[in-house]
Amino acid sequence: MSRNSKTVLRLENVSKTFTIRDRNADSIRDKVFNVFNPTNKRVIRAVKDVSLEIKRGEFFGVIGRNGCGKSTLLQLMAGVYPPDKGGKAMIDGRFIRLSLGLGFNKDLTARENIYINASILGLTLKKIGRKFDEIIEMSELADFVDTKIKYYSRGMRSKLAFAIAIHAEADILLMDEFFGGVGDEKFRKKSDEIFQRSFLDGRTIVHVSHNLSTIKKYCDRVILLDKGECIALDKPEIVLDIYENLMK
Amino acid sequence: MERIWLLAKTDFKQRYYESALGMVWALINPMFRLLIYYFVFTVIFESKIPNYALYLFSGLLLWMFFQEATKGSMLILRKKSYLIENIQSNKLDIYVSFILANLFGLLFNFVVYFLLSLVFSISYSWTVLFFPLLLLNLAILVFAVSLLLSTIHIHLKDIDHIWSMVLIVIFWTSPIFYGRAIIFEKLPLLLYVNPMAGIMINVREVLINANQPDYFNFFYDFFYAFVLLAVSLVFFNKNIHKAAEKR
Repeated sequence: MSRNSKTVLRLENVSKTFTIRDRNADSIRDKVFNVFNPTNKRVIRAVKDVSLEIKRGEFFGVIGRNGCGKSTLLQLMAGVYPPDKGGKAMIDGRFIRLSLGLGFNKDLTARENIYINASILGLTLKKIGRKFDEIIEMSELADFVDTKIKYYSRGMRSKLAFAIAIHAEADILLMDEFFGGVGDEKFRKKSDEIFQRSFLDGRTIVHVSHNLSTIKKYCDRVILLDKGECIALDKPEIVLDIYENLMK
Repeated sequence: MERIWLLAKTDFKQRYYESALGMVWALINPMFRLLIYYFVFTVIFESKIPNYALYLFSGLLLWMFFQEATKGSMLILRKKSYLIENIQSNKLDIYVSFILANLFGLLFNFVVYFLLSLVFSISYSWTVLFFPLLLLNLAILVFAVSLLLSTIHIHLKDIDHIWSMVLIVIFWTSPIFYGRAIIFEKLPLLLYVNPMAGIMINVREVLINANQPDYFNFFYDFFYAFVLLAVSLVFFNKNIHKAAEKR
């Protein structure tokens, strides 16, 4: 990876505050009642003032305890949530967010889901047709191509999502606790190889995980979050030490 | 474009291929309504409109398209969140494809309509060429209304119920089972407020009476749809980023 490559993902002073009501206040009834009873509201600051830059081709890790804001950070990167005022989130390139059980319409078959996902990522139907067999081969689902996703196991779904992301030429992979439990030994070995190769392809990976060995093995840089704040952002050896101290 | 087509095709398939009778349901429902209304308005109210079955059928088809497409697309942000929140996507594509899928259903029904019109020995003139344009106008209108409703739905879930009531108002103020004369004579103002009225009147003119459309309504309804679309797009783009956290 060349050090002077392009920035594809940038967060500037990004914070995210959620206002959580115990009851949903988006109906007229609740809005009226809340005039008299406005207190059942809780403010949660999930991410606090995080700034970072990720370069093209980088393998970027995100670690931290449960509930520290890792997934929210990923969703901010993906633009699912807008950051609070004053913050800026920029992503440059086609991305796909991989997370267990997301990304598919469960009532459609694998074939249909592959076409839809890849098409939304910007591939032409012709190109998807050419890549189709590779995707199926990699996900080892040849016997279930026309089976609806709802009958798939978790492992099968993850393998399929991963295969789509790799072959459908997503530039940026946002992986949420994704790699840790995906597939059996054989599939893991295969994805290991691909992870090595993806550096060459110039693809960017943001990897949220509790699996510290994967983080150590692949990541160029790691950010450590605690209670939504960035505690450390550096090479994995350094950050993992801090994390282990934090956990004590 | 290819993407919109693919999404529309899948939506359409999912809607009809699941049930045992499949596409036939797309036809049974309007046929069933047609029979009821036809009975009520010929036997009980004794409508004097010529070719009343076709008049009613065309009106009902346009109406059901409007109703189903607007009601369905209001919930798109929720239903398709699996796509919107995981892949970088153009949200408008998803709306257009949904409306297109509904449009396939409408066209399928209109094939049946045209067959039926042969039985009634309706003769068509060149003015039938206005029909696709009128459908385009309707589709743009539906697109605009869908975006508007979706945006409101982000902030106010009750819009679901409110829209059901508004639909009743639009149903009764559109000339579905009564003739255009009633609107022209008693409520001409309606033509400005409810664009469905003008579109329905014109569809009947070109399909049943082999006349030219009422040009004022024709252009006014296009204008109406485009203005509403422009407003909805601005409104939608301003609020869309709040969709995920309000869900």
